[in-house]
Amino acid sequence: MKPTSYSDRGMVEPTYRGSASVAREVDLMARIANGDRKAFEELYNLYHRRMARFLTRLTHRFDLAEEVINDTFWVVWRKARDFRGDSQPSTWILGIAYRKARNALRSSARFGRQNLEAESLALTSDEPFRTEELRDWLEQALEQLPVEQRLGVELCYELGYSCEEIATIMGCPVNTVKTRLFHARAKLQKLLPQLAGAGVPAPHGAGRQAAQERQS
Amino acid sequence: MMASSSCGHEECWLLLPWLANGRLSHAERAGAEEHLRECAACTQELARQRLMCQVLTEPERVTYAPGPSFRKLMERIDGRAPARPQERPLGRRDAPAGRAVAWRPPGLAWAASFVLAIGLAAFAGTAYRWSLPRYATHTTAAGGTPGVLHIAFDRSLPVGEMEEILRSAGARVVEGPGTTGVFGIAPVTAAARLRADPRVRWVEPLTGTEESQGAQGRRTREP
Ligand SMILES: [Zn+2]
Repeated sequence: MKPTSYSDRGMVEPTYRGSASVAREVDLMARIANGDRKAFEELYNLYHRRMARFLTRLTHRFDLAEEVINDTFWVVWRKARDFRGDSQPSTWILGIAYRKARNALRSSARFGRQNLEAESLALTSDEPFRTEELRDWLEQALEQLPVEQRLGVELCYELGYSCEEIATIMGCPVNTVKTRLFHARAKLQKLLPQLAGAGVPAPHGAGRQAAQERQS
Repeated sequence: MMASSSCGHEECWLLLPWLANGRLSHAERAGAEEHLRECAACTQELARQRLMCQVLTEPERVTYAPGPSFRKLMERIDGRAPARPQERPLGRRDAPAGRAVAWRPPGLAWAASFVLAIGLAAFAGTAYRWSLPRYATHTTAAGGTPGVLHIAFDRSLPVGEMEEILRSAGARVVEGPGTTGVFGIAPVTAAARLRADPRVRWVEPLTGTEESQGAQGRRTREP
């Protein structure tokens, strides 16, 4: 599928959207601190899509995803005055969401977790993967990762945060973020052999071999 | 051999996710690109990282509707709603008293809730599991079909299982879920099969009144 524009594709906008949008969000935060409901709604709408997808993917439950979003914005509404602008609104908000999501995931007794055997993830077909197929497998593979790694993957690949921003969101050192992603990548690659072939459009499979050599 | 600006293999390897998502600083990017010229392993890994970005930012299969969630939040902020959404006890079967319309949750058009539409498009391959089908908005057109069923699943049911149930019954979601997790699905002929499933709390035909509300809900979809 050829990328067109984000809106054409109906996809989540990347989090990083330039200084203009950061300034816009800072302005909204200032108005929210003064109790401006219109500003609050605007900010909420901006983040709802971004977070809904990521949280639904994490929790597999719409009601839980909505709960995390609303718990997050409940804090945003009450603590907007505490936002000093030494971080971007985006990392501040996602930091709150991260803690809420992590807690929700940790009390995962609340929802059934699928424990899939690693080998069940492997596609048997030698056909070149299709993107949507790969995404389904990737989503399953992500469940095999510890919560912090999983959230790191989502924040990086899906929401497009920089390493430093993820460190702010997670409240950990930059190197920890890199290490988490490093381990997540290694595990995903083991779970998803078809990812190994990604670097080589043709001939299919050569990349897989190279990856296996490197892993051994 | 190595240019001074080039970063080492391990350093580059660690940075590749952010080279792929375009969020490296200028200096880091220059260093990584320098190393990439001479490292096949990193070059291949970069392609994988780009694929990860591409796959995880693919178009949504679900249309989310922020409006109803926002209204719930404002009700909470204004003290008109409990601080936390109250979970219904699992396993409780809410049989609608008499007509389905009597059950409708108060205050909100049920169709326009957290997720506006899920398209259960035909999806080839066994890979499909819990994740949501694509091109959700396309299926909203099916909302105009005369037969729509209300369906409520056990709240603890993972999204994937819910989809599996619908799919095996040959049904698709055309609206919802509402504030209490009720979906509008089609076709009505799937009702008997769905009723037999213990994970389905209940299935009832959608009345005309609510059908028009569903249509209103669909119009709230954002571009
Ligand atoms: Zn290298």
